[in-house]
Amino acid sequence: MATIVKMPKLGTTMTEGTIIKWLKSEGDPVKKGEIYVEIQTDKVNIEDEAETSGVLRKIIAKEGETVKVGDPIAIIAEEDEELPDLENVDNISTQNQEKSPQVFQQEDKTEAVKQTISDKIKASPAAKRVARENQIDLSNVIPSGPNGRIVERDVLSYIQEHKVKATPVAKKIAIERQVDLKAIQKSPGQRITKQDLEDQIIQDVDNAVDNTIPVIGMRKIIADSMTYSKKVAPHIYLSLEVDMSKVIDLRERLIPLVQAQHDVKLSYNHILIKAAATALRLNPLINSSFTEEKIILKQHINIGLAVALKDGLIVPVIKDADKKGLAFIAKETEELVQKAKSKKLLPDEYQGGTFTITNLGMFDIESFCAIINQPETAILAVGKIIKKPVVIDEEITIKPMMNLTLSCDHRAIDGAVGAKFLQNLKQILEEPVNMLL
Amino acid sequence: MAEKLYIEALREGLREEMLRDENVFIIGEDVGLYGGAFGVTKGLFQEFGENRIIDTPISEAAIAGAAVGAALCGMRPVAEIMFFDFFTIAMDQLVNQGAKNRYMFGGKAKVPMVIRGPMGCGTGAAAQHSQSFPAVFAHFPGLKVVMPSTPYDVKGLIKSAIRDNNPVVFVEHKLLYWTKGEVPEGDYTVPIGKADVKRDGKDITIVAGSIMVPRALEAAQKLEEDGIDVEVIDIRSLKPLDLRTVVSSVKKTGRVLIVEDDPISYGWGAEVAAGIAGSEAFDYLDAPIKRLAGLDIPIPYNPNLEKHAVPQVPNIIEAVREVLK
Repeated sequence: MATIVKMPKLGTTMTEGTIIKWLKSEGDPVKKGEIYVEIQTDKVNIEDEAETSGVLRKIIAKEGETVKVGDPIAIIAEEDEELPDLENVDNISTQNQEKSPQVFQQEDKTEAVKQTISDKIKASPAAKRVARENQIDLSNVIPSGPNGRIVERDVLSYIQEHKVKATPVAKKIAIERQVDLKAIQKSPGQRITKQDLEDQIIQDVDNAVDNTIPVIGMRKIIADSMTYSKKVAPHIYLSLEVDMSKVIDLRERLIPLVQAQHDVKLSYNHILIKAAATALRLNPLINSSFTEEKIILKQHINIGLAVALKDGLIVPVIKDADKKGLAFIAKETEELVQKAKSKKLLPDEYQGGTFTITNLGMFDIESFCAIINQPETAILAVGKIIKKPVVIDEEITIKPMMNLTLSCDHRAIDGAVGAKFLQNLKQILEEPVNMLL
Repeated sequence: MAEKLYIEALREGLREEMLRDENVFIIGEDVGLYGGAFGVTKGLFQEFGENRIIDTPISEAAIAGAAVGAALCGMRPVAEIMFFDFFTIAMDQLVNQGAKNRYMFGGKAKVPMVIRGPMGCGTGAAAQHSQSFPAVFAHFPGLKVVMPSTPYDVKGLIKSAIRDNNPVVFVEHKLLYWTKGEVPEGDYTVPIGKADVKRDGKDITIVAGSIMVPRALEAAQKLEEDGIDVEVIDIRSLKPLDLRTVVSSVKKTGRVLIVEDDPISYGWGAEVAAGIAGSEAFDYLDAPIKRLAGLDIPIPYNPNLEKHAVPQVPNIIEAVREVLK
């Protein structure tokens, strides 16, 4: 039987998903459980498994299209099975794309169908299936079966009678260009022609505007949470510069050892995670979250590292960073960053952070102020290591300096408390042996 | 291809298996010189001798018990029970020993035996010699149950049953013995657990077994005159049950009638109906699933009443029309 595949709900907050890539083409066989489509949710990319076996007969949601959870994305059916009415299926996909007023009418109608089906109308399972596939309201169908039961033939003849009349060429163009035939007004009995369709397409083009990026998925989450943080949390910003000489030296010496142990290259971010975790242990208030009633000092030190993606950012979390060695932090961080970049992070891997580090040094940024990742109370913005003239013992020497800017939520953290943490962090980085304490 | 009687095809299957494998032997009441109550084993005693065609006292429990024991020791016995009604006497050996041994010995023991006999009414043999209850045996894990309806199937299935390493309950119907059909010469098998579409159609699926298959085919032929295109599936094996064939047929026709020889209550048709309702065919059903089976009564001796106790061709035609209403 033909299965209309719907956009799956892949997480509790997921309301819509975007088709990244169809791994199968129309006409390819798919097996139940086989990965056949990549879907982007608000957080991650997920490879979705086919819920049934058959042939991928029709792709309704094209690559790049965003579809509400529960709306159809494809049809899997037997190779030579007759598909549910393609015109109507096309309408569905057009609806999701354009969200025109007609869409809502159509959706109301679908809702009505669902209600009627579950209501008191007697119809055979086959009649219900055909009605469902063709979005027919069974209350409009005249029953001919025993005991007033609507049977399949009743629905089929209803469809036949209420078909939108169009020439074969017009139908073909409508499918190719995803034009809703029902949107074209024609006097009763008259067929929609190729000309009508071309007029409609021109009209649609006239209505088109500039390129837009829909604020959905990850974009929407970022927009909402940044606005929220700036709205509820009064930020204070504390900056200082750190002499990175010893960290550079330490890193040089550790690179081959870490490489040998875990086959990853030790980076400044790894050392910063370890150093920040050590400093957080000394300053528990920085590792907290704020609620209206209380400040919660977090038991675990879970450090998030902001990772830039092509079209957004995500913060994978290194759990219990204070209890882990540098080599292990390096390995775990790189694994998480790779997963983040391919959008394969699991919820557990980007949730539960207690403090965030964001580093824009690789873009030559010297210093910047970050927005706190709620419900955390502080975030550390890291700049580029730059050789600078500094005065030591009345002498000007050249030192590799790095700017650190801590953003604190003043509701929880006063200036002096944040400063103390930053000072500790500076001491640790300038004398990395402190990390062993 | 030669036309043969069902009983001849069955005998041919038994004989070829005995020639193929010296471990195959037949045991039962009057199966020897007399050739069996219905003549299934006629001539085999003369060919294979008393060591391989063994007459027993009138004790179905002993026949079944001896067969289970011989099978456990490496033989491949075919036990004949004179009337299916007497399977109840053989039942303890079959159900509590035959069906269990392979499992209770962790797969180390095999019970490659066949127990066969004729069921069904229509010969005026009254309540104790006319019953059909193969579904009873399909209820027990460890037993396979087949009931071929054609000469072709009976030869192919007796071979599969003899070669199977599990106890197989092999159910014949008295009235089938003298039906004719094409049977190829030489060796071939029909798989256990596979239903067979005996007639293609698009309007309704009839699922039938044993004697009800030729009756359903006759009904289908008559209905064709009225433009009703009936598909007939011979369920062939009750266990394992081939639901897949049934489901794909019902998806095509949207309507189904199940015809059984057994009394209707708790029959195998209920199992098939439940299977359809729970399958992907559900969404294709355009009418309620209908069952037609024997009445819940002991088979009457009176020939007129006897006829009314189980489905006949006119009953099948009537039931089809009702489903198609």
